[in-house]
Amino acid sequence: MKRYDCLKLLAPMVDKHMFTVTSLSSNTAFWSSLRLEGANFLGCNMGLCIPFALGLTAAFPDRKVIALDSDGSLMVDTSSLITVADVNPLNFVAIIFDNGSYARMGATFTTRRADLEKIAQGAGIDKTATVRSEEAFSASVKQAIDTAGPHFIVVKVEPDRERVKGDPHRTYGRAMREWFMDAVRHHPDYKGK
Amino acid sequence: MVDEHMLAVTSLSTNAPFWYNVRPEGPNFFALNMGLCLPFALGLTMAFPRRKVISIDSDGSLMNDSSSLITVADVNPGNLVAFVFDNSSYAFMGSTFTARRTDLGKMAQGAGIAKSGTVRTLEDFSAAAKQAMESTGPHFIVAKVEPDAGRVAADRSRTSGRPMREWFMDAVRRHPDYQVRR
Amino acid sequence: MDQQSVQVIVETLKEQGIDLVVTLPEEPTYALTEAVRQDSFFTAVTVAGEGNGIAFCAGAALGGRRVAFVTGVAGLLVSSWALSQMGMVYGAPILILASYRGDFGDHSGIPGSQLLMFKQVAEPLLAALRVPYRVVNQKATLKRMLQEGSFACQDYSHPIALLLSGEVLW
Repeated sequence: MKRYDCLKLLAPMVDKHMFTVTSLSSNTAFWSSLRLEGANFLGCNMGLCIPFALGLTAAFPDRKVIALDSDGSLMVDTSSLITVADVNPLNFVAIIFDNGSYARMGATFTTRRADLEKIAQGAGIDKTATVRSEEAFSASVKQAIDTAGPHFIVVKVEPDRERVKGDPHRTYGRAMREWFMDAVRHHPDYKGK
Repeated sequence: MVDEHMLAVTSLSTNAPFWYNVRPEGPNFFALNMGLCLPFALGLTMAFPRRKVISIDSDGSLMNDSSSLITVADVNPGNLVAFVFDNSSYAFMGSTFTARRTDLGKMAQGAGIAKSGTVRTLEDFSAAAKQAMESTGPHFIVAKVEPDAGRVAADRSRTSGRPMREWFMDAVRRHPDYQVRR
Repeated sequence: MDQQSVQVIVETLKEQGIDLVVTLPEEPTYALTEAVRQDSFFTAVTVAGEGNGIAFCAGAALGGRRVAFVTGVAGLLVSSWALSQMGMVYGAPILILASYRGDFGDHSGIPGSQLLMFKQVAEPLLAALRVPYRVVNQKATLKRMLQEGSFACQDYSHPIALLLSGEVLW
């Protein structure tokens, strides 16, 4: 199953007032080409995607916040799952693309003993799933978006064949932050100044 | 159950003074700060592969860096016995996540440590510890305990910081298996 | 931290509209975080690790919440990766209140070798991470420092740290 195909299925399910946060690597490149509207925080570095998304749920409690993370990134800081379970935000959806690879630098722990869904369950997140087909992906994600969370979905995908990079002016760092903040400031629920 | 050549590592709080009171001599590394006990113990297993290394951690400390469980599972050291004394408290500063939704035994299993379990009575603790000490690991045992009644005193120069490190290194240098790679 | 300092901080956080306070409990600031937890004005969040804490604060802050992170030097060390990203790269406005363990006046009884480390590391660490900071060790200037720190935090759109010490902390 390919990451890109899953993201293509996800894109139409995300309405313009939802928030998305992506980890580095192809999550960012692919997602940035699929969702052109709304507030998207792209290119979060290792271990930071989930807790950043969790923080966003505190700013926008009435909107779905969807974290698009990867296995290597999550495993840098699995304690973030403990915090997610405890804060227990109903509007939180974490989708972990598990390709078992650190980019082109070899296999991660999920190809051996680690099971991210079980770790999330141990952390205290009840609504979890691991999906391996596009049908299962669609069904799981639809349910996550239509019902109260927090939801945690592991998506088993193949490693990407090619290295894909997003537009560096839109998908990373300070420049991305400006696009994101612009969308945030225009959001109907925004309460900041 | 701990012989003189086994190595032990503790986290902060009462784990350190209590362990010092029961096993003052031998290679003990006391009072590692939050999140560091388990990975440090794991490193020791690689320096002393033929000896049991016992990690005496606490729930708050482990949860600071729960990713260490994944590393333990992957290195898969047969000589590691990891205890977590889970009193669901950050010292006297309120309850931790294990008082609510978090189950460390389950997280360890998810990380890939097959020999993980939770014990709640002294009998079960004894049985689990004995089995862990006598068989190949890695073993991960969560011991549910009550919060400690008060603070416990122990000789500071033996149980923390740089002075403790000197005692530890002294024991390590005299250990029959000690090999320095030059 | 005595009740007088706790009250000044709680009151000033409220005046500044900071209604989200994140922490991993530590001894020197426990009285403060407890007071916050029990005050219904605030949403108090406990995190499992300080790295989570800073990233969480960044998400909330860029999302428009006014947020404070209460920690100590140890927590700054643990969260330095997250700070490098959320501070230097993204400029998230997070007010960090950190206890200055190891500064002169720390009679907490923690071993000297640890305290020395905290004292040597705290300020250079913040400087290395380009987090503007002030050491706040006088009750007379506590309120003003909080107000100025909070203002600067929003104005720069960047984390800023107040290292609490002296009579404010001990």
